Amino acid sequence: MNKLSIAIIGVLLTIVVVACAAPATQPPPQPPAPTSPPQIIKETVVIQGTPQVVEKVVTATPEPPKPTEAPKRPNIVRVNFGVGDVPTLDPNVAEDTSSITVIDNSNIGLTRLDEVTNELYPGMAESWDVSADGKTYTFKIRDGIAWVKWNGNEVVKVQTCPDQDGKTKDRTVTAKDFEYGILRALKPETASPYAYVLGFVLEGANDYNSGTITDTAKVGVKAIDDKTLEVKFLEDTAYNSMIMGLWTAYATPQWVIEGDDCNEARGERWIEPGFYQSYGPYTLKEWVHDTSLDMVKNPFWPGIKGIPQPKVDQVHFTMLDESPAMAEFEAGNLDAVGVPSGDLDRVKADANLSKLLKVAPVLCTYYAGYNTKAKFVENVHIRRALSYAIDRQGLIDNVLKGGQIPAGYFARPGIVAAPNPKDYPDLGAKFDKAKAKEELELGLKDLGITADKLDITYMFNTSSGHQKIAEFFQQQWKENLGIDVKLTNQEWKVFLETIKSKDTPQIWRLGWCLDYPDANNFTREVMAVNGSSNPAENGMPYGGINWKNDKFEELVKQASVEKDVKKRTDLYAQAEQILNVEDPAIIPVYWYSRNTVTQPWVKRTFSVGGHEFFYNWEVGQ
Amino acid sequence: MGRFIVRRLLWMFLVLFVVSLITFLLMHGVPGGPFDSEKALPAEIKKNLEAKYHLNEPLWRQYLFYLYDVTVPRVTTEKPSTSLLDSYLIEAKLGNVYFRWMNFGPSYASKTRTVNDIFRDNLPISFQLGILAVIFALAIGVPLGVLAALRQNTWVDYLTMGVAIFGVSVPAIVLAPILVALFAVELRWLPATGWGAKPPFLLGFIPANLAPDFFRYALLPAIALGMAGSAVFARLTRASLLQVIREDFIRTARAKGLAERTVIVRHALRNALIPVTTIIGPYFAAVVTGTFVIELIFGIPGLGRYFVTSVTNRDYPVIMGTILLYAFVLVIANVVVDIVYAFLDPRIRVQ
Repeated sequence: MNKLSIAIIGVLLTIVVVACAAPATQPPPQPPAPTSPPQIIKETVVIQGTPQVVEKVVTATPEPPKPTEAPKRPNIVRVNFGVGDVPTLDPNVAEDTSSITVIDNSNIGLTRLDEVTNELYPGMAESWDVSADGKTYTFKIRDGIAWVKWNGNEVVKVQTCPDQDGKTKDRTVTAKDFEYGILRALKPETASPYAYVLGFVLEGANDYNSGTITDTAKVGVKAIDDKTLEVKFLEDTAYNSMIMGLWTAYATPQWVIEGDDCNEARGERWIEPGFYQSYGPYTLKEWVHDTSLDMVKNPFWPGIKGIPQPKVDQVHFTMLDESPAMAEFEAGNLDAVGVPSGDLDRVKADANLSKLLKVAPVLCTYYAGYNTKAKFVENVHIRRALSYAIDRQGLIDNVLKGGQIPAGYFARPGIVAAPNPKDYPDLGAKFDKAKAKEELELGLKDLGITADKLDITYMFNTSSGHQKIAEFFQQQWKENLGIDVKLTNQEWKVFLETIKSKDTPQIWRLGWCLDYPDANNFTREVMAVNGSSNPAENGMPYGGINWKNDKFEELVKQASVEKDVKKRTDLYAQAEQILNVEDPAIIPVYWYSRNTVTQPWVKRTFSVGGHEFFYNWEVGQ
Repeated sequence: MGRFIVRRLLWMFLVLFVVSLITFLLMHGVPGGPFDSEKALPAEIKKNLEAKYHLNEPLWRQYLFYLYDVTVPRVTTEKPSTSLLDSYLIEAKLGNVYFRWMNFGPSYASKTRTVNDIFRDNLPISFQLGILAVIFALAIGVPLGVLAALRQNTWVDYLTMGVAIFGVSVPAIVLAPILVALFAVELRWLPATGWGAKPPFLLGFIPANLAPDFFRYALLPAIALGMAGSAVFARLTRASLLQVIREDFIRTARAKGLAERTVIVRHALRNALIPVTTIIGPYFAAVVTGTFVIELIFGIPGLGRYFVTSVTNRDYPVIMGTILLYAFVLVIANVVVDIVYAFLDPRIRVQ
């Protein structure tokens, strides 16, 4: 039975039931009336941002209330997560920014990347040896790092079960804890969304995760002793050590999750306050679901290179929509928030708020994909013409206004081995009206039609933000090429299914943010055959960009095993030139940025990954 | 009366069953699934997730599993597992026997909570806000309506009905941000966001600490939420009272020489409140199960958001749970309304 017929039966049943039940009962209930679609919420942003409200707000900001000013300011940072509960604090299954923020502040991986430069340095592994073939890594785990928890009053070291004499000792993080965490993430029953990243690189990991093998001894991770972890990789790649620093591969406390002689098994509920155990600079203190979460400083974290002892005692997260959060910031109750796009003009124009505003890069790319096998856009000249005809800077200046950067290619500069526009000024697609017109003529000649016969549709997911961008594209194509492109939109989940199906529309939008900061995570994992936006069956693409370019495949494969960063960057640059210009499969649009306001007394860093590292923050007076 | 209530409750089970079936078919009929995301998950990972939540079973089996989990109580001596798939709303332990009933399933979007957790933690907050809003709506709406009816076609009437029109036509989405900007950001009398009570609650839904702080948080959202209701109640009370006052039995009451006050309160108003009572049922059900807009603007951790996000996330158990809960509250509210009728109007009691 297909989905359509199920839906029809559903509707018919509704009618039948209404007819039957009407005399004695109320009609089948509808979802509550006041629930309006989310887009309307955006309008409140506009309402709050009207100039009248603004000026009044401003007068309130410059002088925070005196009583909090006179005594010493509490050493707490208050920030907002965005609306909705934190999905999980379990490193092995986390996949979203809020979860990872808490996890990365309270746990450390074998390796850790610098939050701004993405430079790799040792984390819980103080050093590691690599075998001659580059496939076996032997990590040496740091000595004496204690597992800790919040006991209701303070942070305490976790104790082992009493021995025969009734004595306990501190539990420290061992290689076995890492082995347990990695195997747990890969276990099919755990159903960890990010297990596939480990599956790509670890020996036997993919087979174990997909249930082909059940013997964990065949998975390439083994604790030799408490301090030595041996990891076997499939290939000698440049990013092996980086992936071992991914949260999915963190150590987790088996004794809490599965229980032991002195702990009751907590299963998936081990992450609740009072049970959560971690070993990083912070640990969980309180978590009121859907409302707030508090992290508290772990005094037993010794401080290592790049991960110092925290200066801020406590971090308080709220879970508010961005507009209420902005109101709380202006009322002095939050220390750092993202500025809602509707408030940006007002904040920039305001003498005080504009001083607190900072635009920081975010490692994500907004792009439009072509179904390269679809009618009209199967022609390479048409695809180039459509891409050249869009004035990205104009979009940013007139529509987005958030300090985004025009993108010429897909891999976001700032990640390892991604080409930088400074070093590759001519790389990628750029706005060029004359060239666009030229390519259009070539394309029309190939197709043997005139411009008015072109029938092209651009699809986006229903949202006022994407709608504005789509309308800008439509107007640019009309103005610069003289062609009419149709716009259509679908609800998010329906859209996702459509653009990865055999009926993928001619042009569609999507964004991509990093999982780990390497160009491999962008150029190869998204665009190569079987990549995230190029679904394939038996090596043949059927949806998404629907694109197979042998030279591109060869280049990204070569780049993944090349060791020299400069050479890798060069290989990715060549691959990007194919992807965006020679045989374009996408229209790169912009690289993301974020706009944040921070209270003047907070000294902070801006993580390029989008989740903050509070051990680098400080509260001044 | 007893037979009447029993009959209505039996109907309720049928209604809930049918609502669950329709919701189930509709939500599975809509394209897109819970694990589709901007980053497409590899096939094996999706398979693992679907296996974990039994989404790989045929639809009819999934539905029967759901019905079984929700309706059939489990009595066992085995210690319950810690799995989120094995969480029950009602759990009791007698000696070494565990009694467990009503498993509404896990939430797919939150990897750590179940629908039961959401019912326990979020529903009471929506309920507290909803009750306050209903009280506000009635306390403002009914007296204003009475006043307008008694002073028909005077300035009192025009003013009251003018305010009522304003209340109906200014939606909460406009009123709420204005209240926040004025009383929270500008004057700083009241907090801008948040809720003054948190789980656990007394008897499952009463705030453990009814400090003045609770009302400081509740005041603005309760007004924003109850405003439209109060306007509706005012207009309905006025219209209905005007009609009743012209009835024969009111003339009789006056002819008997009863005081005007007694005539209005004991005879006229009691009858005039029947239409008002009728709409309180659905109004109550809609308001106490959570409202998306108000909860979002005031940052209240209620249930309202889950009605919307569960659908956009295709979080199947949460969709089922929230819809069934809404249906349940609606049916119960209507049964109560029918009982109240009987007290307001003796003629209904006879029937």
